Amino acid sequence: MENFEPVIVAYCCHYCAYTAADMAGSMRLRYPANVKIIRVPCTGKVDAIHIMKALEKGADGVYVAGCLEGDCHFKNGNTRAARRLAYVKKLLDDIGIGGERVEMFLMSAGMGERFAQTASDFTEKIRTLGPNPVKAALGEAKRAVG
Amino acid sequence: MPEKRRFQASNKVLVVGGGMGGIRAALDLAEAGRDVVLIDKAFSIGGLMTQLDRTFPTNNCDLCTLSPHLSESGRQLHIELMAATRLTNLNGEVGRFKASLTTEPRYIALEKCTACGECARKFPDEVRFTPGLDHRAPTCMRYPQATPYAFSIDKGRCANMEEVARICPAGAILPDDAPKAQEIEVGSVILAPGADLFNPQVLGNYGYSVSPNVVTSLEYERILSASGPTRGELVRPSDGKRPKRIAWVQCAGSRGTQAGSVPYCSSACCMFALKEAMVTRERFHEDIETTIFYMDMRTFGKGYERYLQRAKNDYGVRLVRSRPHSVEPVKQPEGLTGDLIIRYVPNTESRVETEVFDLVVLSTGFRVAPETKELALKLGVDLNEHGYARAASLDPVATSRPGIYVCGVYESPKDIPETMVQASAAAFNASKDLTPLRIVSEWQEELPPERDVASEDPRIGVFICDCGINIGGVIDVEGIARSAAAQPQVVVSEAIGHGCSRESLERMRNVIKEKGLNRVVIGGCSPRTHETLFQDTVRKAGLNKYLVEIANLRDQDTWVHLDRPEAAAAKAKELMGMAISAVRLAQPLIEHTLPMNKDVLVVGGGIAGMTAALSLADLGFRVYLVERSGQLGGMAAKIRRTLEGEEVRPYIFDLIRRTEQHDRIQVLKQSMVVDHRGVAGMFKTGIQMGPRMFYRELQHGITILATGALHHRPDEYLLGRHEAVTTQLDLEAILEDQPEIVKSWQNVVMIQCVGSRTPENPNCSRICCQSAIKNALKLRQLNPEAQIIVLYRDLRTPGFQEDYYRQAREQGIMFATYEPEDKPAVEANGQAVTVSFTDPILGLRMKVNADCLALSTGLIADDESTEDLGTIFHLPRTADGYFLEDHIKLRPIDLPIPGFFVAGTAHAPKGMRETIAQAQAAAGRAQTFLSRDLINLGAVVAHVDGDLCAACLICVRACSFGVPFINDEGHSEIDPAKCNGCGVCAAECPAKAIQLRQFEDDQILAKLDGLLERMG
Repeated sequence: MENFEPVIVAYCCHYCAYTAADMAGSMRLRYPANVKIIRVPCTGKVDAIHIMKALEKGADGVYVAGCLEGDCHFKNGNTRAARRLAYVKKLLDDIGIGGERVEMFLMSAGMGERFAQTASDFTEKIRTLGPNPVKAALGEAKRAVG
Repeated sequence: MPEKRRFQASNKVLVVGGGMGGIRAALDLAEAGRDVVLIDKAFSIGGLMTQLDRTFPTNNCDLCTLSPHLSESGRQLHIELMAATRLTNLNGEVGRFKASLTTEPRYIALEKCTACGECARKFPDEVRFTPGLDHRAPTCMRYPQATPYAFSIDKGRCANMEEVARICPAGAILPDDAPKAQEIEVGSVILAPGADLFNPQVLGNYGYSVSPNVVTSLEYERILSASGPTRGELVRPSDGKRPKRIAWVQCAGSRGTQAGSVPYCSSACCMFALKEAMVTRERFHEDIETTIFYMDMRTFGKGYERYLQRAKNDYGVRLVRSRPHSVEPVKQPEGLTGDLIIRYVPNTESRVETEVFDLVVLSTGFRVAPETKELALKLGVDLNEHGYARAASLDPVATSRPGIYVCGVYESPKDIPETMVQASAAAFNASKDLTPLRIVSEWQEELPPERDVASEDPRIGVFICDCGINIGGVIDVEGIARSAAAQPQVVVSEAIGHGCSRESLERMRNVIKEKGLNRVVIGGCSPRTHETLFQDTVRKAGLNKYLVEIANLRDQDTWVHLDRPEAAAAKAKELMGMAISAVRLAQPLIEHTLPMNKDVLVVGGGIAGMTAALSLADLGFRVYLVERSGQLGGMAAKIRRTLEGEEVRPYIFDLIRRTEQHDRIQVLKQSMVVDHRGVAGMFKTGIQMGPRMFYRELQHGITILATGALHHRPDEYLLGRHEAVTTQLDLEAILEDQPEIVKSWQNVVMIQCVGSRTPENPNCSRICCQSAIKNALKLRQLNPEAQIIVLYRDLRTPGFQEDYYRQAREQGIMFATYEPEDKPAVEANGQAVTVSFTDPILGLRMKVNADCLALSTGLIADDESTEDLGTIFHLPRTADGYFLEDHIKLRPIDLPIPGFFVAGTAHAPKGMRETIAQAQAAAGRAQTFLSRDLINLGAVVAHVDGDLCAACLICVRACSFGVPFINDEGHSEIDPAKCNGCGVCAAECPAKAIQLRQFEDDQILAKLDGLLERMG
């Protein structure tokens, strides 16, 4: 477990978080390479299925990063995303995977530092939580079948 | 692309100044198919707004709203952007100007510079990434999304240019670069040079040169800014400590008569200070006390009054009505503490108070730069006594020289929304001076036909940029290319050097054709900046532009993990895997187009509607002008003179005559809109007209709403119940028509904000302060003996209107403040009325017997008609019944539904001058639609699979723009022409019947597969 490197998927909206990530780059800030970004036009586009599938396929943590409240390019996609995320968290709690593996963050396009900090903090949190239990379960299931 | 550009002589517009105004004007012209040369004296465009941390009234971050405009500007085919360039001379005349331009050497070849920043890191003192803003932090970058996205070298500080040249991985350094002079032909010119901000060093009493803890509002903005010298940490300059008590001092150097000050009002500083105080409170909560010392809170713009209320009530910003007498450092026996003491006389007292603060922000206003004044002199453009370009009061963007227009702060101090309005108006006027519009399609590049790839298996080409050492210096680009080559269906995978260079783009096009590729993946920098470039490239190679995917290997990998090259390489492989998986599922997308109906519907026949109608009709467009009443003219027909003294009636009557006689305008009086359907370019609107309410359907491409507002007549202060009580509008008529009555008056009282700035009508009506001053001055002229008292809350005479306020005071007109909690009282007293009010300084109740009481009742939204029209057109309104624009800061004329524009008081209370500007601007924005033969609606839209749809209405409810509806076939339908492409409906749809093009579920899941499947 000491060498556990979590795989983290970050759904970032084009207008704010993805831009903030680029800005973290241009400011040459450092954050863990564990975080892989998937660009979406708006966090309102991120479906529960995208989060659940990421976990099912083996991601150890997933976060959704959108614009600050009131700043959504599409009026309120970010608040919808936040509501959906709360639902997914509860679902994950209910099935024993743990809602803390998914999170929603808000930031403006200018917040390169917040992007980097968020990426680092979330990675550390998932590292502490350990590997996604689904992966282990799937592995066992495969072995049983095989 | 540039080599394809074929400028016609004298058929372009020169825009001087690349701030918000200049960019907006250039974009409008370009969108209307006009060629523009946009010059700016700085090394990158953007102007003042790029230095702001957040902007009022939304408190959004600017980078998010501005940067798309900049890159939009950078890639527009019609815009030639020339940074570091000045206009030195202008010969000829309108339609045939010859402009002399001089460009400073940048010492860097723009087409080669990749903005990697290597030079700036090695030679931080010699290389500018746009010049430092804050004199206290000379190395800070002005803003990170500069356009052109390139560096420049300060040769004066560079001892050895060869050394810089050696470290540049792109070979972009030009040691022998020299100033370039050139002459271009233009048909018209727009001046948008902006203004400087006042340097308060000359004000001895505010301690700016004495204490580092006295900063200007812009410096404070930079302290708050994430890209500023403190990276957004709020610390005070003297000791790096977080301040606990911050004071803003308004009107520093403005509205003054002392040395170094200007008499006018800078218009934007009140909102600026409120914003800074609110952002401070918001970010640091209760920790920091914020106090604003002000003379009048001038929050007169749309929704600004509510903003002021929020600052006061929700954020606890403390407002003190007083102009401080001095700001001095606190001296202790052990030396200076860095704290500051402010001395001031409160409005309600007559003794001096003192208060100590940790940081003092001076709200410094606008000043025309000496260089701009010289330019005006050279161009033969008249300036007013304050050094600003003089524009006629009813032709707000025309300068004294035909063919030269002005917008933004250079015309008068103003905020961003008004700058945007003037910019669009100036663009419209400038385009009228060019040869008549040609068809835009002639100018489109000839592209090869799109190859049909639907039946082909994916043949993927992978190209990986090294971006010099930016990517190549961290990871083994060849190795990444080899590993990508091993993936299924990848036909070619190669390293391509600087992928964005001309040679590499050409190579990609050739490889695509030779190898018969049908999908492309680029591993390089951010798609935010380069997606359109690579989309163009694949399109030129005969592929649909949506068949390319970009993996962000630079900004989101090698730049952030440059100390961990192994991790960066592993991540690069994963990012490439994700992009390759996703591109397999990429489908050619059709950008929806519709033929454009070029007719125009204008609703409302007042000054705004007529101006817009005439502007477009003069260009050759057919206009339907629908007016509810039996005559044209609207409210402006009741106004007699402007504040500047110009007669209004002849102007209005001429406008009415020209409108009614124009052979391209159909005036439909006594008509109302009853139904509406269609999308921009093909609207159909039903009208019932005439006394018999005949129904008629109009077909039109765009709609301009100019339905105005109403003259407010609240039931207050005996209005309508006593003959001595009147409104400012009616008083103006008396002053003009019955001067003998006026001469008999001994006492006249005016009460401001009657029925405005109240809980029922929270907006400031904006026109009343100037109407009161206009009438008071006229009254004084007719009757020098009368006592005139104006009872007000905040006297709002922004810009040069302040001159008239000062004149009024000089002429003995008395001004006294009242508080909304302690309003004046009025009772009948024979033919006169007795007005009682509390004198703010004495604290005593005063009584005046007034022969005339004029109430400044202002405007109120025409709630009934905006509600009807809002419902019929599906347009949103503000809480107080005005139409709500698409973006309060950047798009004050466009309504949220494409093809709808607003002008005049239907948008917000405003004066005639602003109304005319907005009407011209609406015509200009309309022209950007009408100049096209087809409307491109983009491809990233939601699409419903009718077979899967259960008509559950979830999408109908979820869409913020009200687009989905249940069609005749019983399933949801999304009009691609209306869809904004956010994808909320796709995420909410329980049956997964909705997919957002380019971001379909299987494409997103394919990215997950690309990342995760090899890990199982």
